[in-house]
Amino acid sequence: MSAAPAIGTLQQELAAIVGAAHVGTPSVEINGVTPPVSVEPASEDEIAAVLRVAHQRELVVVPAGAMTQIQTGGIYERADLLLQTTRLNDIRHYDPGDLTIGVGAGLRLGEMQRALAEHQQWIPYDPPNIESATIGGLLATSAAGPLKASAGGPRDFCIGIQFVLAEGQKGKGGGRVVKNVAGYDMMKLMIGSYGSLAVITGANFKVFPRPRQTRTYVCSLASSAEALSFANTVLRSPMWPMCLELVSPGAQEYLCDAPAAVDPDHYVPDHPAVKPASQWQVVVRMAGSDNILARCRRELGAAVTRELEGAAEEQFWGWVRQFEYSLLQRHRNAMVVQVNTSIQGEAAVLQALEKAAPDFNFIAAAVGRVPTGNLILGFLPLSVDPPSAMQYANCVSQFRGLLPAGSSAMVAHCPKEAKAHFDVWGTTPTDLQLMKAVKHALDPKNILNRGKFIV
Amino acid sequence: MNPSLLRQLKKVAGAKSVLDRREDLVLYEYDAGVQKSLPSAVVFGENAQQISRIMRFCAENKIAVVPRGAGTGLSGGAIAVDHSIVLSTARMNKILEVDLPNLRAVVQPGVVNLELSNYVVQHGVYYAPDPSSQRACTIGGNVAENSGGPHTLALGVTVNHVTGLEIVLPDGRIVEFGGKAQDSTGLDLAGFFVGSEGTLGVTTKITVKLTKLPESVATLLAIYNTVEDAANTVVAITQSGVTPAALEMLDGWLLRAVEAAVHAGYPLDSAAVLLIELEGLKEAVEEQADAVQKVCMQQGAREVRRAKDEAQRQALWLGRKTAFGAIGRVSPSYYTQDAVIPRTKVPVTLAEIDRIGKKYGLQIGNVFHAGDGNLHPLILFDGRDPEQTANSKKVGKEIMSFCLSLGGSITGEHGVGSEKINLMPYMFSESDLEVMVRLRNVFNPDSLLNPHKLIPETRMCREITGPLPKAVVEPATGLPV
Repeated sequence: MSAAPAIGTLQQELAAIVGAAHVGTPSVEINGVTPPVSVEPASEDEIAAVLRVAHQRELVVVPAGAMTQIQTGGIYERADLLLQTTRLNDIRHYDPGDLTIGVGAGLRLGEMQRALAEHQQWIPYDPPNIESATIGGLLATSAAGPLKASAGGPRDFCIGIQFVLAEGQKGKGGGRVVKNVAGYDMMKLMIGSYGSLAVITGANFKVFPRPRQTRTYVCSLASSAEALSFANTVLRSPMWPMCLELVSPGAQEYLCDAPAAVDPDHYVPDHPAVKPASQWQVVVRMAGSDNILARCRRELGAAVTRELEGAAEEQFWGWVRQFEYSLLQRHRNAMVVQVNTSIQGEAAVLQALEKAAPDFNFIAAAVGRVPTGNLILGFLPLSVDPPSAMQYANCVSQFRGLLPAGSSAMVAHCPKEAKAHFDVWGTTPTDLQLMKAVKHALDPKNILNRGKFIV
Repeated sequence: MNPSLLRQLKKVAGAKSVLDRREDLVLYEYDAGVQKSLPSAVVFGENAQQISRIMRFCAENKIAVVPRGAGTGLSGGAIAVDHSIVLSTARMNKILEVDLPNLRAVVQPGVVNLELSNYVVQHGVYYAPDPSSQRACTIGGNVAENSGGPHTLALGVTVNHVTGLEIVLPDGRIVEFGGKAQDSTGLDLAGFFVGSEGTLGVTTKITVKLTKLPESVATLLAIYNTVEDAANTVVAITQSGVTPAALEMLDGWLLRAVEAAVHAGYPLDSAAVLLIELEGLKEAVEEQADAVQKVCMQQGAREVRRAKDEAQRQALWLGRKTAFGAIGRVSPSYYTQDAVIPRTKVPVTLAEIDRIGKKYGLQIGNVFHAGDGNLHPLILFDGRDPEQTANSKKVGKEIMSFCLSLGGSITGEHGVGSEKINLMPYMFSESDLEVMVRLRNVFNPDSLLNPHKLIPETRMCREITGPLPKAVVEPATGLPV
C-alpha cells in the first residue's frame, strides 16, 4: 500500500472529527522530518478522538503549541501527525479575588498576562517568546526566564493540569485552589515532559499582585569570579531581588535589538551593536517603593554602573529572556546549552565554557539566573571556520566532562546534522530507568514524540 | 505475624530494629487523627541498604509495609492496615550535611522539622515549611504528605523546598531523584514523589533548600466583632498587593479556648482574630504593615495590635500553634477537617460551617490558613457517645461537600491517607484515578507499600455508594478588584 492513500483516509478520518478546515499539510521541518498531516482540534474531546485514531493506527504524534521550541530535543524516529493545541485558547475561569486562573493549553502567554494586567495581577513568568508561545508548550518544555530567580518556574505556580494520554484517555491533577494535596502531583510530572507522556490540554495557575514599581541596577565586575562573588553577596543580603542575572562580556552583544541581518553566519557586524565588552555584569531587578529602591541602591554600592526604569527596563529584560533566540537569529549554526547546576557549581560551569568553546573554535556567551543555577550558554561558530558536525559533538562531550557533579547540560539548539552524533539530553541525576517506566506506563506504544525526549 | 517470617524479618533488619510485643505495637496503632489499627510488627529503618533488604524481603513474602515518620499525620497515612508492618524512619535522624554556599541541607528522613531550623539558624538561614506539628513531625513525613504550614503562604509548601531525594523502591532498588541543583534534565520525579503519601517508595535521604532569615518581621493581630469582617479582610489584603508571609484566622470560640489554655493575649470578647505576619526588608515590612493595618480598619476591624518585641510575637504564635492542644482541655474528642476553598468564599463557607454545626448540635471551632483558603474546622464531640461520633462524621462530610461545590479540594495539607480515600472520586473521575493507579504501579506494582491509601482502585470508586449531599450555593464569581 502506498503512503498517499493512507494519508488520504487519515485526513478524512480526522476531518470527520475536527472539520476539514482544521486538517492540513504542514510545511514545518522538525530536525529534518516533516509530518505529512497536521490537525488542529478545538477541544479536549476532539484531542481525545484524534489520539484514538492515531493510537489505533500506531501513528507517531507530535504535540505542538506555537512551535517556538519544536526543534529542541532528539531527532524523531518518525513523525506522522502534527497535533496543534492552538485552538484551545480560552480563559476558562479567572477570579481576581481568588488569585487563580484556568486556561486552555493553546492560549498565548502574552494574552493571559494581558488579561491579568487588567486587574493589576500577573504570573511572575517570563520565558522566551512570551507573545507567541502557548501555555501548553511552555509547560511541556518547562521554559523559564530571568524571573525564575525569585518566583521559580511553572512547577511552582501551576496548581492544576488537564491532559489526554496517547490512547485518548483523559486525566488531570490538582485543581483550582492554591493549596491542594489530593492525589498525585500530575503537574510536576507533565511539566518538562516534552509532550512525551500526554498532550496537555489546559492548566490552572495561581496569580500574584503585579509589582507597582521596579528598577534595575546593572553592576559591572572585572571577572566571572568577581561577578559571582558579588551576586552571592546580593543573594545573602537582606534584599530579595526579583531577578539576579549574570551576563558574560560575550553575551552583551546580544542584549540589544539585533542589527539588520546581512548574513546569519556573519559574526562581526560592520557596525557592532554595542561596544565590545570586557566586563561581566550582574543585573539586579528590585520591586518596591522609592524608599525600598533607595535602600537597595545603597546596598549595591559602587558596583552599579547603570540604572534602568520604565520602558528601557522592560526592553532590557525582554532582551535577556530572548537571549538564546537572538543568538540563533544572528548565528544560524549556534549551539545553545541549558545548564542546571548548584549555586556553587556556576563558577565551574563558566570555566568549562571558557575552556571547551575556544578549544573547538566557538565564541562563548552566557547569561544565567544565579539563585537557581540555570545558565544559558551560547557556543557561537566563527564565520571563517564553519564547524563540522563532529566539532559540536566533541565540544559538548568535553564541556560535559568538565561540569561539576550533579549538574546537567541539555543542548537546546544546534544544527540538526550534529544531533546524530551525540545525545542532546546528556546525563541526569534522576533515575533514567524509572523515567522510562513512567513513559511506558502512560504511552506503551510510544506514539507521543518518539525519539524526541530523554525517555 | 507468622513466627517464622518474624524470625526472618529480625535477621534481615537486625533484631534490635524490630518490635513485636503487643505493648510496643499499640504505640504505633494510631496517628494524630481518629483512626486506629494495630501493625503486626514495627521495623526501624537504619540506613538505605538495610531498608532495601527489608523491602526485598517483604516483596518476596507479600508483606505489606507502611512507612511512618513521627506519626503526627491526621489522615491515617501512617497507620497499618491489613496486618501490614510499620517501617519507621524515626531513628534515621541525622543531619548529613549543611551546605551554606548552596543554601542546601541534606538530611535523613527522621530529622524533626524544627530541629533542622534550630541547627542552621546560627548561620542566618532556616527551613521554611513549618507545619503546626513542627516540633515533632519529621522531614521524611513532610515529604510524604507535602506538608504546609502557616508560613507557606509566601514561601511555598514542602515540594517547593525539596530538590533531591534518595528513595528505596518496593522491590528494594535504591534510586536518586534530583540533587542539590534546583533543576535537572528529564522528568521531575522528585516533584512527583513529594506528596505521594508513602505509596511510591521510602525516602532515605532528602536535599532541602535553606532560606535566609528575613531582616525584619512584623506580626499583627487584627480583632473583629464579626467573622464576616475578618473573612472579607483576607480577600482585601491579597487584593491590596501585599502577600503576607502568613495570614491565619481563629474564630471567637476557638480563641477563647486557646486563651484559657495559654495566655496568648487574644481578646476574649471578639468574634474572630487575624494573625498576620509580614517579612522582608525593613523598609518593605514597615510599608506593608501600614498598608495591612489600613485595610483591616477599612474592613471593620475593632483594633489592630502589633507585637512590639519577639516575646509578644512568640506569644501570639503560641496561641495559634497550640490551638489543637488547647481543644483537648475542653472536649473529649475532636475531628480536624482539612479543606480548601477559593479565598473569596471564606465568608460564605464559615457561615455554612456554623449552620451545619448547629444542625447536628456540635460545636465547631475554626483555626486556619485564611490566606490560601485552607480551612481547618475542628468538630468537637464526645467519643463515648456513639450518636455524637456518628454526627461528627456527617458534619465533616457535609462541610466537605460544600467546599467541593465551590471548586475546592478535600485536602490542602493533611493528605488523603485512608481517611479521605472515599472522597477522591468526588474530585477525580475514574479515568483520572486510573492514570494515577498506573503511575503507582510503576513504582509499587503489587501495592504492598502503603496499600489502600491515597489513590482508590478504580473498581473501588464504583463501589462507593451514593452521591455526596449536594450543597446549594450561589454561582462562583470572583469579587471585582
